[in-house]
Amino acid sequence: MSDVATSWLRIRAIARRHYYVLLRSPHRLFDVTIWPLVDVLLFGSLGVFVAQGHTTTGRAAAAYLLSGILLWHVVYQSQIGLATGLLEETWSRNLLNLMVTPLREIEYAAGVALFGMVKLAMGVAVVTLAAFGFFAFDAGRMGWGVIPIAAILLAVGWVIALFVIGLVLRFGSGAEALAWGILFVVMPLSGVFYPVKALPRILRPLAQSLPTTHAFAAARALVDGKAMPWDQVGLAAVTAVALGVVAIAFVTHMLAVFRQRGYVTRYS
Amino acid sequence: MDDTVVLRAEGLVKRFRGVEAVSDVSLTMRPGDTTGLLGPNGAGKTTTLLMLLGAITPDAGSIEVCGHRLPQGRSRAMEHIGFAAGYLPLPERMRVNELLTMFAQLYGIAKPKPLIDAGLERFRIGHLATRHCTELSSGQRTLVGIVKAVLHRPRLLVLDEPTASLDPDVALRVRTGLQELCRDDGISLLVTSHDMLEVERLCRRVVFVSQGRIVADGTPAEVAARFGRGDLEGVFLHLAGERHQVHEVLGAEQTDRPA
Repeated sequence: MSDVATSWLRIRAIARRHYYVLLRSPHRLFDVTIWPLVDVLLFGSLGVFVAQGHTTTGRAAAAYLLSGILLWHVVYQSQIGLATGLLEETWSRNLLNLMVTPLREIEYAAGVALFGMVKLAMGVAVVTLAAFGFFAFDAGRMGWGVIPIAAILLAVGWVIALFVIGLVLRFGSGAEALAWGILFVVMPLSGVFYPVKALPRILRPLAQSLPTTHAFAAARALVDGKAMPWDQVGLAAVTAVALGVVAIAFVTHMLAVFRQRGYVTRYS
Repeated sequence: MDDTVVLRAEGLVKRFRGVEAVSDVSLTMRPGDTTGLLGPNGAGKTTTLLMLLGAITPDAGSIEVCGHRLPQGRSRAMEHIGFAAGYLPLPERMRVNELLTMFAQLYGIAKPKPLIDAGLERFRIGHLATRHCTELSSGQRTLVGIVKAVLHRPRLLVLDEPTASLDPDVALRVRTGLQELCRDDGISLLVTSHDMLEVERLCRRVVFVSQGRIVADGTPAEVAARFGRGDLEGVFLHLAGERHQVHEVLGAEQTDRPA
C-alpha cells in the first residue's frame, strides 16, 4: 500500500472513531442540533424586534443577524469539532494508545476535521432550515459568493482549534474550557452582526486584524445585494493564512513541550 | 537496515524538574529476545518505555527501532512495535471489533477482519467481539489490549504491567498467549512487571533498574546470583530496601537542615 493510501486509511479510521463517539453519546448532538436552533431563535427574534422600528437599518438587522449566525456556525462547528476531538482522547485516556501507533499528528487532525465536516454540515443545515422555517430567511439570497466566505471561516475555525489544542497539550485539562470559551472572545471582535465601526474605538485595530471580521463584512455586502467585495475576501484569506502559520508553529512547539516534559502521563 | 537488531537505545537520560528519572540507560534487543525490565516503583521503567515508544523525548541518548531513528522516523518505527499497558483503559463508546479495526487501520491493514478473528481466538475471547469496551472486566480488557498490540505482527511487543491486578487464571492465559506469540511469530518481548515469577517464566533476560540506572542485566539466574539471592523476588526486595534506606537518609538530612 502506498504512503498516501495508508495515510488516507488512517484518516478514515480516526474519522470513524469519532462517528462512533457521536453515535453513542446522543448528548453530544446538542452542539449540532439544539444550540444552532437556540441561536436562530434568539438572533432571529432579536432581528424581528429591531425591524419593527421600520427604519432601513432596522429592516436589514434581521437579515444581518440571521446571516451572521448562520456563518458563525461554520466557525463554531469546525472549531468545536477539531478541538473536542482531541479532548475526547484525553477524557477516554486514549492519547497514549494513539501516540504509540504510526499515526502522524497531521493524519490525526485530518481525521478529526473530516468527521468535523459532517457535524458542520448538520449544524449549518439546522440553522439554515430553522432560519427559513421560523423567519422566512432564505440563505440562498447571499448567492454563490458565500462559498469562498464559508471556506475561509471553516479554515479559521480549524486555526482557532489548533491554538486550543496547543494550550490543552501544555496546560492539560485546565485549558479545556477554552474549547468553548475562546469563541465568545472572538465573536464580538469579529463583527459577526455589525460593522467594526460599531465597536469601541480601542478595539477596532484588533478587530481589523482578524480574518473573521473581513469575512463577515463581505457577507453583509452580499446580504445587501451588493457585488462581492473581493478586497475584503482577500484580506480575510491573507490574515487567515498568516494566523494559520502562527497556529501551526504554536501547536508544533506545544507538542514538542508535551513530549519533552512527559505530559502524556497525565492521561495514562 | 540491520535485521539483527530490533531495538537499540544508547545512553538515555531523562530529567523531570531537575531530578534524573533515567540515567544513562542502554538497551539492545535482537529478534526473539524476551526481556523483563524490572525495578521498584519510581525506578524509571515506564519513563524508559515511553521514551522507547517515542511518547517522551529523552534529554540525551539515541533510540533506533528496526533501523528507524527516533524522533525523525517515529511513524516508521512504530509500524514495528506493539504496545499494551495494564493500566490503560480501552476507548469508550466503541465495540471490541470496531476498536481493533481502527487500530489495525492505523497500522495500514486495509482488511483486518481475518486478523482480528484470529487474534481474538488466540486468547479465546472471540465471544467479546461485539461487546462494548466499557462492558469488559479488567482481565478481558487486558487481553483485548494485547490483541490490539499484536494485530499488525510487530517485531517488538512492549508491555507495561500487562497482568497487574489480574486473577491467576487470566494471568496464565495472558502468559501462555504471549509465549505462543513469541515462539510462533518470532516477536521480541519487552515487559515490565512486579510479578517476578511471571517474568522468570516469560523472559530469558532481565534488566533491573533502580533509581534510574541499570544495576543488573542477565538471565534471571545470573542476576539473582549476582545479588546473592535465590530468585528475582529476592533481588527486587533487596533493591527496594536499598531505595528506602536512601530515602530515609535523605529525609533525615533534610530534617537536619535549618528552615
